[in-house]
Parts: sequence; structure tokens; C-alpha cells
Amino acid sequence: MAARARALADAWESQGRGPAVPTYASVVVRFDPLRLAPADAEREVMRLAQAHGHAVKEGGRLVEIPTHYDGPDLLETAERSRLSVEELVALHTGREYRAFFVGFLPGFAYCGVLDPRIVAPRLLSPRARVPAGSVAIADGQTSIYPFDSPGGWRLIGRTDVRLFDSTNQPPVLIRSGDRVRFVAL
Amino acid sequence: MIRIESAGLRSTVQDRGRFGHLREGVPPSGPVDPGAFAAAQALVGNDAFEAAAIEIVGGTFVFKCDDRRIVAVTGRDVALRGRDVVPGWTAAFARPGETFTVVCGERSRFAYLAVSGGIATETILGSRSVYLPAGLGRSLRAGDVLPLGSARVDVERAGRFAVSPDYDTGQIRTIMGPHAQRFTDEADSLFFSAEFQVEPESDRMGTRLSGLRIGAREGEILTTGVVAGAVQIPSGGAPIVLLAEHQATGGYPVIATVISADLGLVAQRLPGERLRFTRVDRDLAVAALRDARAALEAIA
Repeated sequence: MAARARALADAWESQGRGPAVPTYASVVVRFDPLRLAPADAEREVMRLAQAHGHAVKEGGRLVEIPTHYDGPDLLETAERSRLSVEELVALHTGREYRAFFVGFLPGFAYCGVLDPRIVAPRLLSPRARVPAGSVAIADGQTSIYPFDSPGGWRLIGRTDVRLFDSTNQPPVLIRSGDRVRFVAL
Repeated sequence: MIRIESAGLRSTVQDRGRFGHLREGVPPSGPVDPGAFAAAQALVGNDAFEAAAIEIVGGTFVFKCDDRRIVAVTGRDVALRGRDVVPGWTAAFARPGETFTVVCGERSRFAYLAVSGGIATETILGSRSVYLPAGLGRSLRAGDVLPLGSARVDVERAGRFAVSPDYDTGQIRTIMGPHAQRFTDEADSLFFSAEFQVEPESDRMGTRLSGLRIGAREGEILTTGVVAGAVQIPSGGAPIVLLAEHQATGGYPVIATVISADLGLVAQRLPGERLRFTRVDRDLAVAALRDARAALEAIA
């Protein structure tokens, strides 16, 4: 579904009418309503959605995230999941994730899906400050906080890699569609 | 060059926004009051889609330009003091080295200073808009010297003015939100009859409201892209109107979307002031934007 959203967003952007933001199951398309009537934009999006309606086969680059598994929620999440810390780490590092999309913060990639044996609902009260580089999980997904920020995901580790650097092209380490693997240090 | 002698509480360079990196999670940024920004640019003869200006928040902002320029200040309750006092929303001629103070009245929140030729700081990721949380540029400090673009100085422009919107109105026009079906008829009519109060935590990311709590069915939504003007209803029920520095994506249902022409009316409301939402159809929203642009073309 996220791959279809990306394909539709690409198709919209190739028309040069404005940017598009794909997520799990939706695409926001932007345009100037004085240059393209909203009703015409709707028709055009429907046409593109039909033309790109089939599943898209993706390769994607592989990005590895060297991770220290010492996060403040690691033990509690392992207990909640009835796993040992070692088992949780093995499950988290044991599969390749897909970056569904990037949002929330510059370079924050929503990656999934987690092994269902890891039970990690969002924290009931989010932390006021999650340090940059925190490796986090929530609701079947995993990500890395690129900047210090408030956040409600469970912190299981940290990495030293930079997720966002405005002098790089592209500025994000993980792009939507990429494959992501965590490597325990 | 423009020399900043006093920089206010938090002033940043902003152009129309950074729309090329939304898919990498980079917020658009740009002016929270796009109408005031565009008017300031039009008054000094700049293209609002290209040129950058300075967004000033609070305190005293003092500057001078090395060479002859046309300058203008817009926003709510603002004026410009050089040799004479020039009202807000009016173009003024700046002599080389003439010192100007941006006068922010007590109802002022975001003021825009445009200079003919535009603020020509370096672009980062295709935009001059400063976004502090990711270190894309920084806020201005006393002693900063910023380059200006070259521009023919048209002295005739001095005295030209634009009409300020009525910032004292608390009537905010919206169109139907993308998740309207998440709200019962009761929640919907509550939303449009209630008076909300602006909270002090409001900032460039969004205007936070208190008052009646609006309940959504099934709580949060699957994360989706969002736009400035979206009125999000978080689980607590206190609405947030997203502004220029909003995150690229959001997980709260959007009950209504403020029309482009009224974004500045929301952004410029002071903590403690009230507002209420009315509903208009999409054609009216587009017509209001068309009128606003036509008014600017008339002074450009």
C-alpha cells in the first residue's frame, strides 16, 4: 500500500504542479488552486491512481544502522513481551525492515514491520525530550530519532549515525522505500 | 547589505517556504502569515514566490541598509520609524545608512520586513526559510549583516500601501476537513458553535486552542500528510491549527481546514484572544485566495 502511495506521489510530482506527500495509505498532493481548479486536480489524481493501481515491485537501497542496545525502555519492553533482552535484540536485528515513509521530523523513517512477538504500544505519556540517535519501537514499527524531540515511542537503543544532514544530497540517510537493518554493537 | 542593530526576541529569514523536501520529513516553514508576507514583498516590488523577508517576533528590531532601498513592514499592529513614522502596510524609501525601527504594538505577534531586492542569504535545501529545530539557518542577532539582492530603486513606490486584513475579527473561515466522517454531527456542530481561546504554547508550528473539547471517533488516524490550516483534534480534544512550521505528517484527525486567505488571522491571534470557526465551500475559499492575490498584483 505504501509503495502504491509512493508511486502515485511520484506520478503527481512528475507533472510539475507541486509536491506530494505519501504515507502508509494516503497521498497529499499540493497544487496552486488558481492555476489548476480543485475539481480538475481531483480528476487528475483519480486518473493517476488508476494508472498506478497495481502493486509496485521495489528494490530499495539497504541501510545498516549500527546500534547499542541499551535504551531506557529495553528491559521493560522485553518483560512486557515475555522475552529476554537478548531475544528481543535478536528479533529486532533479525529482519530487514522497509521504510514506509519519512515524516514527523526531518529524516524520521517509519520502518516496519516488527516481529509480532515484540509488544510495544506507544508510551501513555510521551517523553518531553528523546535524545537524537535513539532507536525506538512502537506499534509494530521501528525508527531512529534524528533530533532531540518530544516522543512517545519506546527507546531500546541508540546509534551514532546521522540521520539528517542538510549538506548531503539527499539530506536523509533513510529514504522511503529503502530497506533497513539494525546491527547490534 | 542590511545591518541588524537589534534583532527582537526571535527573528528569522523566511521565503515562501521549503516545499521540496516534505517527503524527507522537512517541514515547509515560511511565513506563518503568508498574506502579510506577500503584501510586504509586493509593496517593495519583490516577487513573493522568490524573495525572502524577515519575520520578526517581539521586542525591538532596528536595521539600516547600506544603499538606497524600498522597505515595508506588515503584520498586525505594526509601523516603521525612521526619520518619520510610516504606518504598517506602506512602502517607504530608505536612504543609505538611515536607521529604522520596526514598531510592534501590543497586539503585534508576527511582523514582516521586506526590502527591495530581497534578503539574499544562502539557500539551504532549495529555500532561505530558517527552520531552527533542524539547524537550517539560525535566528538573527544584533550585529548581523545580511546580503540583499540587487534591485532598481523605484522612489515612486514610497507611500504605496496595501490594505491590512481585519486582524481583530475572530471569525475564521474553514472548508470541510479530510476526516470529517470521524466526527459525529454533534461534535461537528459543537466545533462550529464554540468559541475557542488561543493558548500561550502557540508557535510557528501551530495555534493551540482551548475551550470546548471535541471528541473524534476511534481516536487517532493512520499517519497522513498534513497542510497548514488543518485543524487537528488530538485525543485530549483541544484543537490545534497547523501553521507554516507544521510537521510533514500527522496522526490526528482533521475536522476542518482553514482557508489560505485566513491563515494569518489565526497565526496573529494573541494568547488569550478568542476565535470561532465558520464553514464555507471550496469555491469560496478559492475565490478568497484569488481576491487576495489580485489585491497584491494591483500594488506590485
